[in-house]
Amino acid sequence: MNIISLHNTLPAVFAGRPDTGSEIWLRDVSFERGKHYLISAESGTGKSSLCSYIYGYRTDYSGTIAFDGNDIKSMSIAQWCEVRTHHIAYLAQEMRLFPELTALENIELKNSITHHKTRQQIVAMMERLGIGEKVDSPVAKLSIGQQQRVAIVRTLCQPCDFILLDEPVSHLDDANNAIVAQMVSEEASRQGAGIISTSVGNNVKINVIKEFKL
Amino acid sequence: MSKDSGNSTSKGLMWKLLKKHISPSQLVGFSLASLIGLTIVILAVQFHQDVRPIFNDEESFIRKDYLIITKAVSTAGTLLGGKSDFSPEAIADIEAQPWCRKVGKFSSNDYSLYATLGVGGIGGRAMGTMLFFESIPTEFIDVADRDWRFDPDKPEIPVIMSRDYLSLYNFGFAASQGLPQVSEGIVSSVPLEFTLRGNGNYDTLRGRIVGFSNRLNTIVVPEEFMQWSNKRYGSGLDRAPSRLIVEVNSPGDVKMQEYLSEHGYQVAGDKMQQGKAQYFLNLIVTIVIIVGIIISLLSFFVLMLSIYLLLQKNTKKLQDLLLLGYSPAQVSRTYISMVAAINAGVLVISVIIMLVARSCYLPTLKALGTNGGTIVIALAVAVIIMALITAGNIVAIKRKINALWIHNA
Repeated sequence: MNIISLHNTLPAVFAGRPDTGSEIWLRDVSFERGKHYLISAESGTGKSSLCSYIYGYRTDYSGTIAFDGNDIKSMSIAQWCEVRTHHIAYLAQEMRLFPELTALENIELKNSITHHKTRQQIVAMMERLGIGEKVDSPVAKLSIGQQQRVAIVRTLCQPCDFILLDEPVSHLDDANNAIVAQMVSEEASRQGAGIISTSVGNNVKINVIKEFKL
Repeated sequence: MSKDSGNSTSKGLMWKLLKKHISPSQLVGFSLASLIGLTIVILAVQFHQDVRPIFNDEESFIRKDYLIITKAVSTAGTLLGGKSDFSPEAIADIEAQPWCRKVGKFSSNDYSLYATLGVGGIGGRAMGTMLFFESIPTEFIDVADRDWRFDPDKPEIPVIMSRDYLSLYNFGFAASQGLPQVSEGIVSSVPLEFTLRGNGNYDTLRGRIVGFSNRLNTIVVPEEFMQWSNKRYGSGLDRAPSRLIVEVNSPGDVKMQEYLSEHGYQVAGDKMQQGKAQYFLNLIVTIVIIVGIIISLLSFFVLMLSIYLLLQKNTKKLQDLLLLGYSPAQVSRTYISMVAAINAGVLVISVIIMLVARSCYLPTLKALGTNGGTIVIALAVAVIIMALITAGNIVAIKRKINALWIHNA
């Protein structure tokens, strides 16, 4: 997958509202593989909606979203599973970890269908983010910031063309923000992937070629 | 990390995740209900299979659902010389009835016949009697071909005899005259000779009893022998049959009984009584099977409800798994294997209960003269019912999980 493009896209709930000057909604926008983008937004402008449209679990929008020119609304469930394991690595804002599993189990749940990283690599990534000793702790017992770091490691455990991050560092301090930015950038450049991250103010410190205001 | 270990990791983790909210009491409730329903159904089917031979298959050489009918002989008829044979019109009328499948005519011998049982010359006691033969079309008789034929060049006469005759001899004649009682086996092995006389011919032929019948209240020989012997010894007159053998759809048919009594026809033996008994057996078995199926259906819905509840409680987890890239098939596999394991367990236990119950009633049936029927049908019914229930469960699970795919508000 090389290009994610939006054409005249608008969430159904925004239908009929006056044009707010968004640089995404109701525009023609393209995200290219290998390039880094930031989408900055205020709360309630549809940032998470945009991610859920691109990741295929919500369809309540008008206009078109396409992967390499193919309308994603026509994709089959099997194609979406392929996208979610091989083309788009996604970090949801609400993280969607399983609290009853340990940090490592949460990550392995993803890695066991992608077989992208070894256990040593996973543990090394966790150590780098300062949660090395939390490997076997149930996620329910971790702080929200620690959970965010577990979710980031899990996101990076797959082959991808795009890394889609919905507020990846909202609960992290500057130091961890910098480490996350570095790890994501490294993984992206290793795979030649593009990065699309969103932010309501606390941006992940990745160099971007374009910033969109939502 | 190898692919296999990855898969087993994901299966173990999936089970750890998804077993939450599984209610053991609900599953036990379902399993019990399902077990009871399925056991009732297959036990009823098996019992029906086992009991049926008592009604149908006592005589392997006469297939089921045959009646032998005669006209009632009245005193006036005897005095006035009324005929008790069936006219071609009467036969055609019977053939036209909806309950009638096929009609066969009895032909009888048209010559003098004397039978000798045992060989008189070698010290033993030979018994002799005047006798008669009748024949019916071969298609009504189910004896292997080589036993049921007649070859004029090597004349030996196969005979099927009414069991009543043997009983009459054993319990009436032999008992009162101090003669030895004989078993069916002995009678079959005792040399039998028939002396046929008429039309200027006189011959003595060997005979052989190939079987005893409760239904054929007569002595039956192959039709080809009857034709041959009537031609050789008979007067050559064509006589209307006085007895008919009728293949019917159901011996207990009410319309048929009305027709028979209306025309003054009598049915030999107690086949119609057996027909009624069989009718009630079928009715009772059907009712029991329906009850069993209803219980099975209810248990099916209990399981469906339980699964729906489980999926409902785990909705968010299932959706999160789908977002990780698990396919609906992978996600549903956990629940499908659980349901399949439960259903397979119920199937096995149910079959075991059925077999144990069967071993309790089989001795009684043996005393009634049958070894029971095949268990294949009951097993097939069990497998089919469980396969249908499992298929229904799988479809429901898949549909429910597919419905979680889109999260639109």
